Order: sequence, then C-alpha cells, then structure tokens
Amino acid sequence: MTLVTTTARLGPSVARPGARGRAAGLVGIAIVAVFVVIAILGRDLVPYRATALSGPALQAPSGAHLLGTNGLGQDVASQLILGTRISLLVALLAGAGTVLLGGVVGVAAGWLGGWAEAGLMRFTDLVMVLPKLPLLLLVGALTGGSAVTLSLLIAVTFWPMTARILRSQVLSLRSRTHIRAAAGFGAGSWHQLRRHVLPDLGLILVAELIPAAGRAIALQAGLAFLGVGSPTQPSWGGMMRDALNYQYVFETSAWTWWLLPPVIAIVALVIGITLVGTAAEIRLVPSLTRHTR
Amino acid sequence: MGLYALTLWAVVTVVFLLPRLLPGSPLESLNDPSSGNFIYDPVIRAKLAAYYGFNRPLISQYVSYLWALLHGNLGWSISQNTPVTRLIARRLPWTLLLMGSALALSSTIGFLAGVTAAWHRGGARDRFLIGSLSMARSIPEYAMASLLLVCFAVLLPVLPLGGAYTPFAQYSSPLGAIADVGRHLILPLAALTVGLAGNHFLLVRNTVVVTLGEDYMLLARAKGVPRRALKYHHASRNAMLPFLTSVGIQTGFAVGGAIFVETVFSYPGMGTLMNAAVTARDYPLLQGSFLVLAVVVLVVNLAVELAYSRMDPRVAR
Repeated sequence: MTLVTTTARLGPSVARPGARGRAAGLVGIAIVAVFVVIAILGRDLVPYRATALSGPALQAPSGAHLLGTNGLGQDVASQLILGTRISLLVALLAGAGTVLLGGVVGVAAGWLGGWAEAGLMRFTDLVMVLPKLPLLLLVGALTGGSAVTLSLLIAVTFWPMTARILRSQVLSLRSRTHIRAAAGFGAGSWHQLRRHVLPDLGLILVAELIPAAGRAIALQAGLAFLGVGSPTQPSWGGMMRDALNYQYVFETSAWTWWLLPPVIAIVALVIGITLVGTAAEIRLVPSLTRHTR
Repeated sequence: MGLYALTLWAVVTVVFLLPRLLPGSPLESLNDPSSGNFIYDPVIRAKLAAYYGFNRPLISQYVSYLWALLHGNLGWSISQNTPVTRLIARRLPWTLLLMGSALALSSTIGFLAGVTAAWHRGGARDRFLIGSLSMARSIPEYAMASLLLVCFAVLLPVLPLGGAYTPFAQYSSPLGAIADVGRHLILPLAALTVGLAGNHFLLVRNTVVVTLGEDYMLLARAKGVPRRALKYHHASRNAMLPFLTSVGIQTGFAVGGAIFVETVFSYPGMGTLMNAAVTARDYPLLQGSFLVLAVVVLVVNLAVELAYSRMDPRVAR
C-alpha cells in the first residue's frame, strides 16, 4: 500500500485569514454554541419526556407541541432537544478518543523511526482501508451500542488519519534546528520529545479534534438511523429512522415536522463544526495550509 | 500484494473472533432461552450450531470456519432462513451499480472542478467551488439523501420515492427497463456523489495549484502551448497519481455512503440488507456482508495500486 497522504485538506487561498474567513468561523462558533446550550439546558427545556405519549399521533405543530407529535404521539421537539445531548456527548468522547489514539500511534511512529515506524504505519494502512461503516454496524449490533461503546468503536476505527498527519508533523519537527540544538546540548530522546516536540503538537491535536468530533456526530446519528443504539435513548438518527419507516409519512405532511427537524439539526451542527474547523485550522496550524500558497 | 493478503487474513480472523470474544457473548445469547435474541426455530438453531460449532474448542471452530469460507459458505441467515451467500448474491449487484456509477461520476466532477478552481486560484470561481463543495462534503449522506428525497420525490414528485425499479412493471423493450432502472438511480446516485466529489475536488485542486508554480509550467507557457493543453495536459497530469490513490480510499467511503443512501431510498442493495440484519440482530448475515464489502474494497485498492505502479515507474520495482 502506498504511503501517499491523501487526506483532503483545505489548501491555499482559503488560507488567507481574511475578514470573510473570520466571519465564517464566528458563524460556526455561534451555531455550535446554540447546540451546546440546548444540550446543557436540555432536561429543563423539554416540555415532555421523550418517550412519553403526550398527545394524539401525527399532530401538526401547535402551542402544546411546538414541532407536533410523531407516529406514536411523542413530542418531536422534546426528542430533538434530548437528541442533542447524545450527539454532543459522542462528539466529545469519540473525538477525543480518535485524536488520542491517532496521536499516540503517529508520534510513536514518527519519533521512534526504523522498524517500529514501518510496523506501525503498515498497521495504520491496514485499518485505513477497512470499510468502516459495515464494521461499525457489525460490532455495534453485537455490543448493543451504548453512547460510550459507540464512541470507543468510532475512535478505534477512525484514528489512522490522525496518526498519519501526526507522524508527518513529528518527522518535520525532528529535523528542525531547535531540536537538533537540544540534542547537541545532550538532551535525551525522551526530554527532546517531551519538552520540544509534544508542545508543538498541541495545536495540531486541537485542529484534528474538531473534524473528528464532526465526523463522530454524523456517524452516531447514522448508526442510530441504521438501528444501532439504544431504542429508548432519543437521538436524531433514531428520529429519522422512525419517520422514514412510517409508511404514510409522505402521504400526509407529517414529514415536515417529523423528518425535517432532525435532518436540519444534523446538517446545521455538522456545517457549524466544519466552519469552526476550517477557521481553526487556518489560525492554529498555518503550516498545514501555507506551503502550497 | 503481501499487505492485501495480510489484511484479508486479518479481516477474516476479526470476523471470526468478534462475536465469540466480545463481552456479553452475543452468540451464546442466540442459544439462551432467557435472552431477547433467542432463536425459537429449532431447525435454524441447529443450522447455526453446525456453522458456528458452539461447543467445540476455538481452534477447531476456526478451522471449520475457514474451510466453510473456502467453499463459499458464509453461514445461514437467522432472520431470512436462507444461505447468506444467496442473499448477498442478490443484493451486491445493485450496490456495485450505485457505488460504481457514483465513483465514476464523482471522480469526473471532482477532477474537472479541481483543475478549474486551481487554474483560477484565489478568484471568485475558486472561492465559490471551495466553499460550496467543502460544505457539501461535510453533510452526511443520509441527510443529503433525505433532503433530495423530499425535494424531488415529495414536493416536486418527478422521481420515484424509492426502490431500484418499478415493481411488476412490464417493459416493452430492454431500453424501457434500462430507463426505469436509471430513473430510480438518479436520486441515490446524486446523494452519494456530492460528498465524494467534494473529497476529490480538494485533493486535485491542491495538487494542481502546486504544479502551476513549477518552472516547466512557465516554460510551457513561454513557448506558447495553448491554454487547454496547458491546463489539462501539463498541469493536471501530475495530479493523476494522488487522484488515483484517492479513488481507492474513496471506495471505502462510498461503501459507507451507499449503505446510508440505500436505506433512505429502500434501494435493494447491501445497505438495506445490512440494515435489516442489524434490526433482526442477524449476526451471520452481518458478518457475511461485512466480509464481502471488505473484499470489494480490498480488490479496488489492489487494482488502484497495480495501476499506480504502471503509471509511475518510480514505484514499480
């Protein structure tokens, strides 16, 4: 397998941190902040328990049910609000796990070099080519797929991209003069790594964390949509699944308040995170975008 | 080549070990009358016991599992009471049709858009393409599919809601059948293509931008090479190699995307099959589906690598 890095990154000219880019980043932060507030206040905001049969089935939005009711008579707005919590929880856990795993493998490969590097990168390639969603479906179905399990599974399948980026970054840091100078003054390998290399990687890890979190949100919702996840825990993907499985959802206008809200919530949050991620990448790690300008 | 053989062996072994070693012993729950997954039909239970070899030592289970695989036996589907191989054989062609056309279409769009954006780098066209395509690629396939479904099958009912063909339709000619299949393919294909095209686009654009700054481009321009040749011949050719690698990687993403898109459109491929298998906790069917899809991805990647070493003499050893 070839070791060409093909992770598509935003390149050149987007990298001009102009007013436009900053505005996009702020819009992204605002979108994400709204969802975070909803998630934190969630339990106090919801008018009904998510599984409570709070009214007749398929009621159009009204004062009592802001987004109407679903096919069972559950309040759609309550489910949407409580679904935010699980999305953001998985984003945080899976994002951190992905970056941590990828970081350890990538730094170890880049710093150790030699056969350790060759072995680790071979393993990275091996995990990278596996079709991830079918694997997650299989393991998710076998384990039941609680939020924590899912986060762990996502981290275990998605770390290779981070590992590659971290490795190449460590390789380029290793040859820089300040590290060579430290080595010249007699700094040991561990000291160089801890004092001179790891601090420089912090920002890249943050820049990697944001897209990893976005990917985790899309995956968690997608897995719930395919039936992996707790059936009693409300989630955006589960709502989409229920709506699309309901035979007459398109015969009436029920899809406008049952199917569309979770779809719009996912799209808005994922786009918000992408905007933040792009802005963060440009500001935090200009070296990733600068060289091709 | 060696790595692919190793990967294949790893996949096969992981598929063997997962259901046996995971906590909660999911396989045993199939035999446990007190669990929700208990299989009531004694005939199916016997078939499963024969395939999994529940009470034999692990190594003996492994040998008979490999032996069955070599004979194309992927086990017995619990929920559909049919050999897994037969179910997959019926569904895989639809997924390959969807994935294949999406990969071809997204590669073409991504390549052309990438070259165009790089050529006008920094300009309005470039910024528009980057903005729209990187937004589009961050939208999950199932969300994109739902939006397309609502727009073009519900609000503006010009295309079918789902399926791969009109059930019970009588076609007057093979052309009619193709047109029908094509009509059902449009929306799933569009939903799957958008994200993949975005990935290709960013890669091609960034590679071409770098080549545009090379000395040989300046020389070519100075000696009066026409614009078209400059753009598509001199500049784009260097993007071909990373582009090819990316086609291999995209295949993995396309499999995932196809599973989502098929589920939204009830498209009768591997995605809807796996979705049904997840719902029924049909482990043999899930295992077989994962294995087959992994092989598809590995084969495409191997083909890409062979093509790569053909195109780049530096890699050929």
